[in-house]
Amino acid sequence: MSPSPDDRASRTLRPPEHRVERRAIGWWMLQSLLLTGPLLAASVLALLWWEGARPWPAVAVALSAVLLVVGAVIEPLWRYRVHRWETTDTAVYARTGWLVREWRAAPLSRVQTVDAVQGPLEQFLGLSTLRVTTASSRGAIDIGGLDKRTAARVADELTRVAELVPGDAT
Amino acid sequence: MRPPEQAPRRPPSGAGTPGAPWQRLSTRVIWVDLVQSVASLLPAVVALAVFGVAPGSGQLWPLIGFAAFGVLGAIADALRWAFTRYRITASHVEVKTGVFLRVERSIRRDRIRNVDIEARPRHRLFGLRVVNIGAGQQAAEGESALALDAVSTADARALQDRLLRMTDATAEPDGAAPAGEEATRTEGTAPLAVLARFRPGWVVYHMMSVWAYVLALGFGWGIFWLLGSSGVDVTGFVAGLLDWEAIGWAGTVAIAFLAVTLFGVIGLAVNYFAEYGNFELARVRGTEGTLLRTRQGLFTTREVNRDESRIRGVQLSEPLLWRWLRACDTSVITTGLSMWSMARPAAVLPRGPVTVARRVAAEVLGGESPWAVSPKAHPAAALRRRLWWATLFTAAVGLALLGTAAAGLLPYTALWAAAALWPCALGAAFVAYRALGHAVTGPYLVMRSGLVHRSTTVLRRSAVSTIVIRESLLQRRLGLRSVSAMTAAGYGGYDLPDLDADESVAFAVHAAPGVLDPFLVRPRDGAPPEDERPPGAGGARPAPRSGVSGPAAAPPGNT
Repeated sequence: MSPSPDDRASRTLRPPEHRVERRAIGWWMLQSLLLTGPLLAASVLALLWWEGARPWPAVAVALSAVLLVVGAVIEPLWRYRVHRWETTDTAVYARTGWLVREWRAAPLSRVQTVDAVQGPLEQFLGLSTLRVTTASSRGAIDIGGLDKRTAARVADELTRVAELVPGDAT
Repeated sequence: MRPPEQAPRRPPSGAGTPGAPWQRLSTRVIWVDLVQSVASLLPAVVALAVFGVAPGSGQLWPLIGFAAFGVLGAIADALRWAFTRYRITASHVEVKTGVFLRVERSIRRDRIRNVDIEARPRHRLFGLRVVNIGAGQQAAEGESALALDAVSTADARALQDRLLRMTDATAEPDGAAPAGEEATRTEGTAPLAVLARFRPGWVVYHMMSVWAYVLALGFGWGIFWLLGSSGVDVTGFVAGLLDWEAIGWAGTVAIAFLAVTLFGVIGLAVNYFAEYGNFELARVRGTEGTLLRTRQGLFTTREVNRDESRIRGVQLSEPLLWRWLRACDTSVITTGLSMWSMARPAAVLPRGPVTVARRVAAEVLGGESPWAVSPKAHPAAALRRRLWWATLFTAAVGLALLGTAAAGLLPYTALWAAAALWPCALGAAFVAYRALGHAVTGPYLVMRSGLVHRSTTVLRRSAVSTIVIRESLLQRRLGLRSVSAMTAAGYGGYDLPDLDADESVAFAVHAAPGVLDPFLVRPRDGAPPEDERPPGAGGARPAPRSGVSGPAAAPPGNT
């Protein structure tokens, strides 16, 4: 059923099948805004009120403006092109990142917990993160930006399948 | 002495034997405390009676402090003894302790990962042993190690045997009857094979370390202070040893440096003999399967047992500065042992020659030798990446120095430091590149990397749970990728940087057998990973998706 090792070696990984929700772009934007927005505001205030340090607040404003644009526009759009996910009967597979891309795959036989978690921003947007953990402290797979119904359903299904797959999960 | 009045309040959760009696720690702990009190009073008494130091004089204060510290410590320890009870039920090990703040703790017996026996000289004097019961990585749930400080040697061995024998948990009669287990104990401790023994010659690997200076300075200061407080003119003595004026400033520094080095090196050598004396690494018969047992220590003895069925691999770590000595630290990759503990329970050998470490590692793993295939070097692009980083790092340091020089804080000559740094950084880049290597031999992955510590990780492929491939922008340009194999054992994951991009997939496929198979395509009919197809538009999908999921509608699938 599975290809022979030599055959497999000459193959490449295909991207996971599904994209995340388009709303995830908004989610990543909001995250960046919350992080860099205050920075920009503070440096603008410093530029206006702190005359003693004159040339430097301008540099800070420029830097945080660049950070804001990169974080709120470039990063979310880029991430949306990269982030993909897929689950099968035997494994969970996800691709994440933007400057650094990461492919993660874990067999369901090693899965310990499957949860759909929602941060405050995600609740606001109706999104959810699927969190699949294994016995390894570094082995968790987080798939963010799913529709909350999809995430809940997949979590449910994976939990059911993971119980059926033999293995002691370590 | 005190009835265990709290016992009925908290029935054991394991409902097996509510009647298991609570036990005290060994009464000999009190003797230890008495001896400690007397011993700590002794210096002050000797100073008063023998040397006739006037009471109330300043010289007596350190001794009084020492005595008070010792006696109060002993009293606290005796109180702790009086208020501590433990018991072993069918399902749990429970300990109640604390004088003012009562603490009740329990560890489920099936969670127990290791039972270690430890003894300081004061324990050994009275035939006592400290038993540490660890539940592995359950620390987050408040189930970190329980220590029974202390029980008699025979009880300690019996406890160890009993707790590591999980299958018997239901069968055996409860209410610890250590005496009856003597027979199994002697049988169980005879080693099946001794893998390594103490080698005095290995002291060379332990004599040189930065710690030599820490040790020498700390020790020297302590001696200086002690002698000074008892009226010896140390400064005058040292000043009179040599004609310092004639030697000059540089000579004095050199001699001081040499003296401190010598002192520290001797200290570390002594420490090696004290810590690793009687060392033995042996495979012993456990109650289910075999255990890897290390015993070590001349004065403070330590015995650690590691369940071999939990061992997933071995890691050899060669520190950069001692590479010329071929020195190497050896540890096992196993589940349930804390890797961050100062006691380093995973280390199975003292630092020693890499040849021995490799032999022992192969014997620990058993079966096929992981060293049969020599690791394959990584592509030249990996060297280029490291050289770039080294150059960028040097440039950053140079810019920082330039900035400080421009601000007038440093002379411009400081820039030469950056110039000197560059060849060093390039050399380090080359060494780091040479360290890279990987191989798949039989059931094992062999991954080698690291600059300061070149670590060779041998990991059982069947232990890999999550497989990760990573690619940064720069790596993508250079055609490189990093692979990490995540596992439940050891540090939780082991990284292999900068493989050839095509080879990374092959390595990942071998690392986690079967996991990636459904996601592989032939390069021609499938899209390369760079391709960002719109969802659902991809034509060639080799593995029929018996899918559990889809984002839009629930597929029929198998559920």
